Amino acid sequence: MLASQAIDRIRAFPPRMTEFTKQFWWGLASGDFQTTRCDGCERLTFPPKPFCPHCWSEGVRWVPLSGRGKLYSQTVVHAAPMVFQEETPYRVGIVDLDEGLRIATRVLSETEPGLDTAVEIVVLQYRDGPLFAARPL
Amino acid sequence: MTRNVAILGAAVLPVAKWQKPRDADVQVLEHEILAKVVIAAMADAGLDKSEISSLVFAQPRPYTQQKYFATFIANYLRLPCTGTVQEVLGNGMTAALAFEAAANDIRLGKSQVALALGINFESAVPAVEHMMNSMKATGDVDFHAPFGFTPISWYAMDAARYIYEFSSSREELASISVKNRRHASLNPIAQFRKPITLDEVLAQKPIVEPLGLYEVPPRGDGAACLVMVDEEIAKVSGKPYVRVRGRGFFHEGAHQINEVPNDMIALASAQRAGQAAYSEAGVTADDIDLAELYAPCTIIEVLASEALGLVPRGQGARLCAEGVTSLGGRIPIATSGGLQSRGHPAHVTPFYSFFELKEQLTGRAGERQVRGAQLGVTSAELGNYNAALIHVLEGVQ
Ligand SMILES: [Zn+2]
Repeated sequence: MLASQAIDRIRAFPPRMTEFTKQFWWGLASGDFQTTRCDGCERLTFPPKPFCPHCWSEGVRWVPLSGRGKLYSQTVVHAAPMVFQEETPYRVGIVDLDEGLRIATRVLSETEPGLDTAVEIVVLQYRDGPLFAARPL
Repeated sequence: MTRNVAILGAAVLPVAKWQKPRDADVQVLEHEILAKVVIAAMADAGLDKSEISSLVFAQPRPYTQQKYFATFIANYLRLPCTGTVQEVLGNGMTAALAFEAAANDIRLGKSQVALALGINFESAVPAVEHMMNSMKATGDVDFHAPFGFTPISWYAMDAARYIYEFSSSREELASISVKNRRHASLNPIAQFRKPITLDEVLAQKPIVEPLGLYEVPPRGDGAACLVMVDEEIAKVSGKPYVRVRGRGFFHEGAHQINEVPNDMIALASAQRAGQAAYSEAGVTADDIDLAELYAPCTIIEVLASEALGLVPRGQGARLCAEGVTSLGGRIPIATSGGLQSRGHPAHVTPFYSFFELKEQLTGRAGERQVRGAQLGVTSAELGNYNAALIHVLEGVQ
């Protein structure tokens, strides 16, 4: 179960959901961080996909992720697209998950976190649905 | 028999804010501007319009109201063609892909004279609106864009990682902006020509930390036309020209970040494509006299110059601060002023790189001439250098 934080507004640029990815977004809403793993070569992928990008097998299954990793890099965005104007400045970063997957997401930290700092993934519960973010442990 | 490709003529529009707001009474329209550039490029090549048989366009920005721009221009300039008339698109690589397609028509014998050309008008569209498009191009619309990544936010994260891994500093990175502005001050087609100091660069408002306003590309409009020919035509012209010596391409199969953690700031695409281009040209990085790189932000000039072997890994920013990559230094980089100061009309930016190399390699760069320049390298990219297209060019006088 990921820690969760309520945010009293709607997502500025909500992700689209498909029959396939709804498992990810609905799971996220209830605190599960998960992706797909190949039944053949056993490799993980992120974002989750209905096939394995490494061997193109269509035999994949959902597996939980620890939601732990290290901050590979980060920045603070001051000049943002229209829909993010109310949120500037905001911090984003790249996280290497312990499972060996690289993802990009928001970073929750008032001060500048050091790179390679341990982080955890948390759920951001917006009024219209979830997003995720990383925060230093 | 393999045909060699040469650039015999070229012309560009000075980079500036040419586009008028949509509600302005009097407009500056793309086709009128581009026609003048084409005529100037052909005059430079000394060829007649009847000899042109291929037109390869960098696709304009979506803000250009005239769609099917290539076929519109074929009519506007009355240019019947037996090779091809087409538009290509590939983000920042667009113009380099157009250059390739035109070169391929010559290599395949479909054309002896091919134009690689285009116009990028966007400056009257507010940045906050423009970014609503560009954020969808530089990231996964569902798994990156919802967090607010912008195109240059990825470069900012390259900068943070570079400073961390190589004990570099924002000051060292900012020295690239100072150097490039000094170069631009000598370039009549550059968008920003007033020299700036390191303190001025550091004092600018932050855009994507650690990068401030002068370390990221300005917005501007541009147009360019390269007259590409079978080298046999260049030889009989008696004019100095530039020969395409080598080409390399590599796409790492990733978009912005590699889901399998890698060394993001090694720019594997530029390393691989650069090696391929040097190998085809039969040269090494040490043979290169100058480089005109696709580097929207200061950090990218550093990373690309390191990946192409022009400076040692981890030392690019420091060596710029020491003058090694300045005009007069060991390996001048971005003699045009680069994307920060020459300007960055994105879909045609690589044309401007080819233009600068042509000016330099044919000895026409005036005050910013690199003495004795014979070999130049240029790059174009997709995403966060997830793909690179590298060309080695040689001057023939
Ligand atoms: Zn597999």
